[in-house]
Amino acid sequence: MKIKFLTVLSLAIALFISACGGKSDADLTKAVQDKLTADNVSGVTVAVKDGVATLSGQVADITVKTKAEASAKAVEGIKSVTSTVTTRPLPVATPVAADPAMTGKITTDLGKAGCTGATATVVGGKVTVTGEVPNAKYAECVQVVMQSGIAGIDNQLKRGK
Amino acid sequence: MSAQEKYQSLLEVANQNGTTYELSEGDNGTLVITGTAPSEEAKQALWDEYNRIDPDFKGGDLILNISTGATAAGGGMHTYTVESGDSLSKIGSKYGIQWKAIWDHNRDILKDPDKIYPGQELKIPM
Repeated sequence: MKIKFLTVLSLAIALFISACGGKSDADLTKAVQDKLTADNVSGVTVAVKDGVATLSGQVADITVKTKAEASAKAVEGIKSVTSTVTTRPLPVATPVAADPAMTGKITTDLGKAGCTGATATVVGGKVTVTGEVPNAKYAECVQVVMQSGIAGIDNQLKRGK
Repeated sequence: MSAQEKYQSLLEVANQNGTTYELSEGDNGTLVITGTAPSEEAKQALWDEYNRIDPDFKGGDLILNISTGATAAGGGMHTYTVESGDSLSKIGSKYGIQWKAIWDHNRDILKDPDKIYPGQELKIPM
């Protein structure tokens, strides 16, 4: 009799919890994982305890990290999100050619683009740009330099009239 | 604040307009974004966002090296046939590119970056 009473009581408690507590942590973990997959987030591990999601792992860049956190928050039943997700260390940028060749290429490209007032000098893969170009040409001239394959820039270019 | 955080909105624009990119670290923590935009408009949108964050491009903490799809096509796309046991990141490492770059160029045939099948022909941006 006592056992039967306990069984009924525990069943009642279980029903009560599921009725007002919503999804279990295991359900929520699955829901967050599914949401991350749907949002193309990879490299993130999810753990849910008492409705609080903890995200960990390493992702490609900061946009993925932000998206992972927002996606987890958007899952119904998740109260808050704690994230220890990190972005992967970036590979070192290597200049595409030796300094004199780079200097020559950028100078030629600047000339072609009509940025004749600009002077570029590459030292150790880093370019220093000096001189003055017409204001209307300024952005284009900076683009030319940045698209040359350099690994650093000191932009001292001035906007003229 | 890291350069990635400073230029996060620029990377978001790239993700939204279909520009594929890779990040590397240049001189003294400079963030180097090397990528391919699907159109001149998309490329311009990135430069507009850069201009909003750093109006004179003088920060020295970013190099934005974006070419457009047209020039990338000139550089050529390689076709790779998926083999058993392959994943996008594994294929990417063979070519020295990120899995995301392959994913972005094959969204027309792939539904899920984790599901590729032997015999599928993927476009590899070179």
